[in-house]
Amino acid sequence: MTRYVVRRLVELPLTLLGVTLVIFMLLRFIPGDPAIAMLGEHAAKENVERIREQLGLNRPLFLDREALAEGDAAGFFDSQYLRYVGRLLHGDLGDSIHRRISIAGELKQRFPATAELALSSMLLAILIGVPVGILSAARRNSALDLVSMFGSLIGVSMPIFWLGLMEIMLFAVLLGWFPVGGRIDPTSDLNTVTNFYIIDSIITNNMPALVDTLKHLALPAIALATIPLAIIARMTRSSMLEVLQEDYIRTAHAKGLRERVVLSRHALKNAFLPVITIIGLQTGSLLAGAILTETIFSWPGIGKWTYDAILGRDYPIVQSGTLLIAFIFVFVNLLVDLSYAFLDPRIRYE
Amino acid sequence: MADHLDSTEPENEFEHIDFAVREHRSLWGDAWRRLISSRTGRVGLVIVTFFLVATILTHFFWEYDPKTDLDYTLKLKPPNLVPNEDVESIHPFGTDKLGRDIFRRVAHGGWNSLRVGIIAVTISLLTGGLLGLLAGFYESMPMSAVTRALVAAAMSGILGALAAWIAGQFIILILFVALGVVAAVWPSFLAGQKARYGVFGGAGMVLGAAPALLSGPFPALVCGFLGFVSGVTVATSFRGSVISSTIMRAMDILLAFPGILLAIAIVAMLGPGLDKGMIAIGIVGIPAYARLVRAAVLSVIQQEYVTAALSIGVGQARILFRHVLPNTLSPITVQATMGLASAILWAGALGFLGLGAIPPEPEWGAMLGDSYRFLTTGAWWAVFFPGVAIMLAVLGFNLLGDGLRDALDPRLQN
Repeated sequence: MTRYVVRRLVELPLTLLGVTLVIFMLLRFIPGDPAIAMLGEHAAKENVERIREQLGLNRPLFLDREALAEGDAAGFFDSQYLRYVGRLLHGDLGDSIHRRISIAGELKQRFPATAELALSSMLLAILIGVPVGILSAARRNSALDLVSMFGSLIGVSMPIFWLGLMEIMLFAVLLGWFPVGGRIDPTSDLNTVTNFYIIDSIITNNMPALVDTLKHLALPAIALATIPLAIIARMTRSSMLEVLQEDYIRTAHAKGLRERVVLSRHALKNAFLPVITIIGLQTGSLLAGAILTETIFSWPGIGKWTYDAILGRDYPIVQSGTLLIAFIFVFVNLLVDLSYAFLDPRIRYE
Repeated sequence: MADHLDSTEPENEFEHIDFAVREHRSLWGDAWRRLISSRTGRVGLVIVTFFLVATILTHFFWEYDPKTDLDYTLKLKPPNLVPNEDVESIHPFGTDKLGRDIFRRVAHGGWNSLRVGIIAVTISLLTGGLLGLLAGFYESMPMSAVTRALVAAAMSGILGALAAWIAGQFIILILFVALGVVAAVWPSFLAGQKARYGVFGGAGMVLGAAPALLSGPFPALVCGFLGFVSGVTVATSFRGSVISSTIMRAMDILLAFPGILLAIAIVAMLGPGLDKGMIAIGIVGIPAYARLVRAAVLSVIQQEYVTAALSIGVGQARILFRHVLPNTLSPITVQATMGLASAILWAGALGFLGLGAIPPEPEWGAMLGDSYRFLTTGAWWAVFFPGVAIMLAVLGFNLLGDGLRDALDPRLQN
């Protein structure tokens, strides 16, 4: 157990290093010179050279063999990739190419937006998916079971961007119940503290802002929740079905416990492990799915930012956005694996 | 059920109980029977067949040139099934912003989705499957002498290439590879393990440092160090799990990215286009197949028939391709069917973001991305129908995959 945890913790920095390497290579091999992208096609040659120097683009990619041959041992490691990793370790993500703003500063604004959306969707998916899965398993082959399992198959087959568009058409354009996009009404007087608007509006006791925030959140959260909801419901059902066949469930029934107690106390507790795994895995995918959802709903989060940067060829932003999402994904997966080991004492890792 | 009860009359009883003359059924024949007797499998099969037949017929027998398809007088007309005074032609799905018939474009879009799905799955299946096969096989099988030499040469060759590049001396690469081969073919009983570390570590240091001296003292230092590491590595009594863990760690790094994000990043690098989308989706799918095949191989290799084949001296390659590979086919089939579903979904997402098919090419996701700005004007049909097409195709493959899983593995009952 301890050995397993230690091994996973040792592997973590290596995985993260691998992730930075993949992202670095993907973005370095994009055709075109970032310095020219920054200054425009007709920039003076010496300006381009100066910017290349500033960005470190004149350095070799990984290692500098010429510096080493000249006896400069420190220069050997002064490369684009190692500079990039070094800056990352200092929390410096660089600047946007088009608007000279610090990426780290912008992320602080945008990350809470994505987190608020992703966490709300996850909450929604768990609150609906787990009970639906339990009921489907308890009433196997009932109408409820068939409807919910067919519904969940539709859910995993649905393109979420399409679902989002249909929501906008129905609830925003035709019925006018919800806003078409954005995170809060621009005229709102909300004072931001944490940039989680729900929390901000509660701690500043601003009821109209809270209602407005929730209204803006509703449609994108539903769209983003669909796939995890469907997967969680299916997983809960099949895991419960497996547990319900166990002898101790029959014993519990036989000694006259009410079904509600059997389901919640005896079955659910043991059926929950795979569900937790799925919840963890889906949390990571939610962040990636946010690229589509945020784009459709003009949600000012990391996903939309990264997507806009791809279209605008603002590679430092693409690099940082991708890196952040991948890092969170890796951390969440690690937490899931470790929690698994703690939650189920029967599991022994060698 | 009723037939069954009727047939249990005394004179029929013997015929039914005589298991010895039961007709021969193959695994796949059995699976097929189970598939078409399950509701999920049947529905999936119907949808997939419809999708395939309609797509292929449309592609080959219904001419369509997206480049010339344009009629501004018919811009964004709602669906009509009978001609009216406004629109004289029939457009069951309406028209889009360029006056193109959406029904026609949805029908032709199927070809692109099918192509993306099949090619992407082929890329992930072949690459991932091969990697998984190697990983699983060498994790549980001893390496032959030739494989051992190859692996040692590769291990020292990678460091050798680095050292050769640093020193600017190509000869270092050759020396390192030779060192690896020698270490692999020199049986360890000629020298104890500690002596082996000393001999090969020292040899590596000299082989790295000596040629590098020509470039200067610092490169010689670095290359000597690399040579030492390389020599000690090949001197260890490494086993096949070296291959396996190298492959699986690389897969772990690919898995560290949420799928769609990696696909988007790859397309951002390659540039938009349907063919590049296929490659991106294919790469993203590789780790899933590698893990699946590795797990399947690991469990198949435990079986008695593999042990039996080994004990009568069947060669490793023959065991791998005759006995192991065929028995991993059923999980691969299920995964590939489900993989088609997600490839179609991801291609749609890429197209929607403008990173997949390039307009005016008819592709469902790109059609959605093209038209969604007109939603606020009430033109729901331009968005609704391409989305339904994606959903039905994906649903069909998902249902078929579900049905196949139950049909191919009768032990799973849920």
